[in-house]
Amino acid sequence: MQIATEAPSSFRSSAVRPGAVGLMREALHDVLARRRLIRHLISADIRRKGSDTLLGNVWWVLDPLLQMSVYLILLSVILQRSTPDFPLFLFAAILPWKWFASSINDAVSSVVRQERLIKQVQFPKIVLPVSAVAAEILNLTFGFLIMLGMLVLFFPAHVTLNVAWVPLIALVQFVFTVGLALLVASINVFYRDVGILSGHLIRLWFFLSPTLWSFDSSAGRFGAIEEALGEAGVNILRMNPFAVLLTAYRDAIYGRVNATGDGFTPGQTPDLVALGMLFLFSLGLLVLGTVVFKRVEPAFAKVL
Amino acid sequence: MSFAIQARDLGVRYSLRFTKKTSIRRSFTRLLKPDRGEKSFWALREVTFTLAPGESLGIIGPNGAGKSTLLQVLAGIIMPSEGVVEVNGHVSTLLHLQAGFDQELSGRENIMLAGALMGIDHRVMEQREESIVDFADIDAFIDAPLRTYSSGMRAKLGFSIATAVDPDILLLDEVLQTGDEAFREKSHKRIGEVLSAAKAVVLVSHDMSWITEFCNRAILLEKGRIVADGNPDEVVALHMEHSEFRKQRYRAVIKAMRSGEIPVTARPKQVIREAERTGRKLPTGSPQGSSKP
Repeated sequence: MQIATEAPSSFRSSAVRPGAVGLMREALHDVLARRRLIRHLISADIRRKGSDTLLGNVWWVLDPLLQMSVYLILLSVILQRSTPDFPLFLFAAILPWKWFASSINDAVSSVVRQERLIKQVQFPKIVLPVSAVAAEILNLTFGFLIMLGMLVLFFPAHVTLNVAWVPLIALVQFVFTVGLALLVASINVFYRDVGILSGHLIRLWFFLSPTLWSFDSSAGRFGAIEEALGEAGVNILRMNPFAVLLTAYRDAIYGRVNATGDGFTPGQTPDLVALGMLFLFSLGLLVLGTVVFKRVEPAFAKVL
Repeated sequence: MSFAIQARDLGVRYSLRFTKKTSIRRSFTRLLKPDRGEKSFWALREVTFTLAPGESLGIIGPNGAGKSTLLQVLAGIIMPSEGVVEVNGHVSTLLHLQAGFDQELSGRENIMLAGALMGIDHRVMEQREESIVDFADIDAFIDAPLRTYSSGMRAKLGFSIATAVDPDILLLDEVLQTGDEAFREKSHKRIGEVLSAAKAVVLVSHDMSWITEFCNRAILLEKGRIVADGNPDEVVALHMEHSEFRKQRYRAVIKAMRSGEIPVTARPKQVIREAERTGRKLPTGSPQGSSKP
């Protein structure tokens, strides 16, 4: 089947239903053929976020720093935690987490937000969640630049060449995020509950992921978690994709907390086997998300 | 192929299961009480027509007859639930002129965004940009964000973008009269130009003068089915007759309810709908009221 607006002629019938491979190919074509549309949507998105604030794009720098500060104060002052170079420990995980959380948050409503447009113009709807997720890349890049500066200026002892793994880890996370974004964006069209629920689930996910703690039993509160959940519980926590991702980020940027809890070994090679497996899983999720999205896409204009 | 659009046995079914803003709770309720109400309805049924190149088709009918749905199917926005639609040529839809606008982008950027949405190559769009800006005639505002525009300026820009495309087949919804008096005159002329340039046109309007002025063929849709197809003047006349009949009957039913002839079980519109389904006789208000809508 050809895409109506691109092709000089088109044939639409209730009898034509492409299979999974056909849908994947269509989706790929949609995204590639509409690169420019995605770019327009991203620039509109970025402008929208910065338009009503006094500081405008300064917030890209300030936002992750403030978030880190909040947790820094909470954990080190109130809960009396002492992990060496705690700001870096936190930042290395909170930054990629924030990327994920705001991507999903934007993507969930990306389709339903364009209700009017979808009913009036025929275009590949897949560009909506894709551009919502892609728009966040810019934020992340800024955040990582700040972190790099922080690393070199304040925590030079942590610096190793292993920081170079970060883009690769980010790629795995991106594939995972796009896959999940396509799923939630399409389901949210039919059940708006998803949009409300996802905010809470993501918050829960945050605490279950090694953002404020890590799997090193000496670092902060992990001992208490281990005690509460037992070995089986911890193994389940390790299955979480973000256990793999955030541990990998932290390994590459921060390193590991020593067994005694008062020192650290600087940046390390992340667990590449776990990362590779997660990449395969993420690809599977991307395929699933794409097929589901493309399958229900024709119904969007009717349901919205 | 000698046709611009061909529809064969076209049907569009809306599932009432997922109408506006479903929630999981309502789905559960429906699971428990599965037989409450109908599960789907046909917005279009057995629609068959062929539009030859050079034809300009007007679609008329009462509210909810399926006019907009038909346009959406022809545009590819909605997939048919049954039957086939074949479109032969590049389609442009001017269903709603400001649908794709983004408030934060400038007028110029919105022109490019609209082009990208419609799948028009950006080089082509860049060539057309100046003529669009000229026609919209909103001066310095073209580089300001859209949220600073007045509604009139927005409408002008929307119209200019929509009619700058150069399609083989043009699908128009009625919302075309926009802007101030001077702009309306200019736009009326422009529509005439676009219509005569397009290979084929489908126009939906409640304004019968548009149908008789711009179309050389008309289709009357009622309850999703084609009731009449042919000369615009005749089809328009039939439509007028039918809507006059409905108006008379509505008044007569209200009158009968007031006088107690018909028990007041529901609102008049519902009573009429129910009676049409069951075939029950209703007062028609006119002595010769035998003509069926």
